[in-house]
Amino acid sequence: MPDPTPNDGAPATARFVVVWDWPLRLSHWLLAASVLIAWFTANVFDTVHEISGYTALGVLAFRLVWALVGNRYARFWNWVRPSVATLRYLGQLARGRPGRYLGLNPAGAAMAVVLLVLIGVSTISGWMQITVTFFGVAWVEHIHTWSSNLVLALVVVHVLGVLLMCWLQRENLIGGMITGRKRATDKDQSA
Amino acid sequence: MKAHRAALLGLGLATLISGPALADGFNKCTTVPKASWKPQADAEALAKAAGYEVRRSKIEGTCYEVYGVKDGKLFELFYNPADLKLMHTKAK
Repeated sequence: MPDPTPNDGAPATARFVVVWDWPLRLSHWLLAASVLIAWFTANVFDTVHEISGYTALGVLAFRLVWALVGNRYARFWNWVRPSVATLRYLGQLARGRPGRYLGLNPAGAAMAVVLLVLIGVSTISGWMQITVTFFGVAWVEHIHTWSSNLVLALVVVHVLGVLLMCWLQRENLIGGMITGRKRATDKDQSA
Repeated sequence: MKAHRAALLGLGLATLISGPALADGFNKCTTVPKASWKPQADAEALAKAAGYEVRRSKIEGTCYEVYGVKDGKLFELFYNPADLKLMHTKAK
């Protein structure tokens, strides 16, 4: 965990700034916990599974609101980029020169959007399964199963991607999502 | 601190996985081989006769699982495919 560095007097190349505000951090870890708990309680502990699913849906709703009122790093339209930019970024990453972003890099942004959408599909289809209208309806069950499997697979990719960037850029990104602070350098690209 | 947290998380996950496995996931009804099971439609017919609106049925483990709705409430009925005995009723 990095020590906070006061902004005044510190060299401009090594100062820490708050990137992730606390509601964003709280929603990130609450979503992570509820997704993991929901995954491990599926078909095992129905009540816990349902509560964690509703929690995830609540976090998603909050996150959408926070995209409107949070800081620049919380606003989707600040970091969602065209898929071309994302692919170009992945190409640069493959060559080992991805460039540094203070907030989400294009690949991270694409992952965030896909994960949020898929968690939305998973939670809503799960909820539908215990409504009178959709109870026992096969396609709802299949969508719930496959969107949930995909969420877990992408969570693994997300964690691996974070670990890769931690290593490539010698930076504790996990600590950053806990404290909210990240090292800011002059070379950072915006957003 | 960090190792402590990791250990706690690991312990939590291990408890969830290895704990009372399938506490809510009823799926053991018979040891009779599939070849001598009665038709799945018979299980649906039994549920219908018991007053359920049958939505669907499927094989869950060694059970026939019938999705039934009665008085606006949701139920999963588990029948033994060998003798079509109702083994378990789960209210959703």
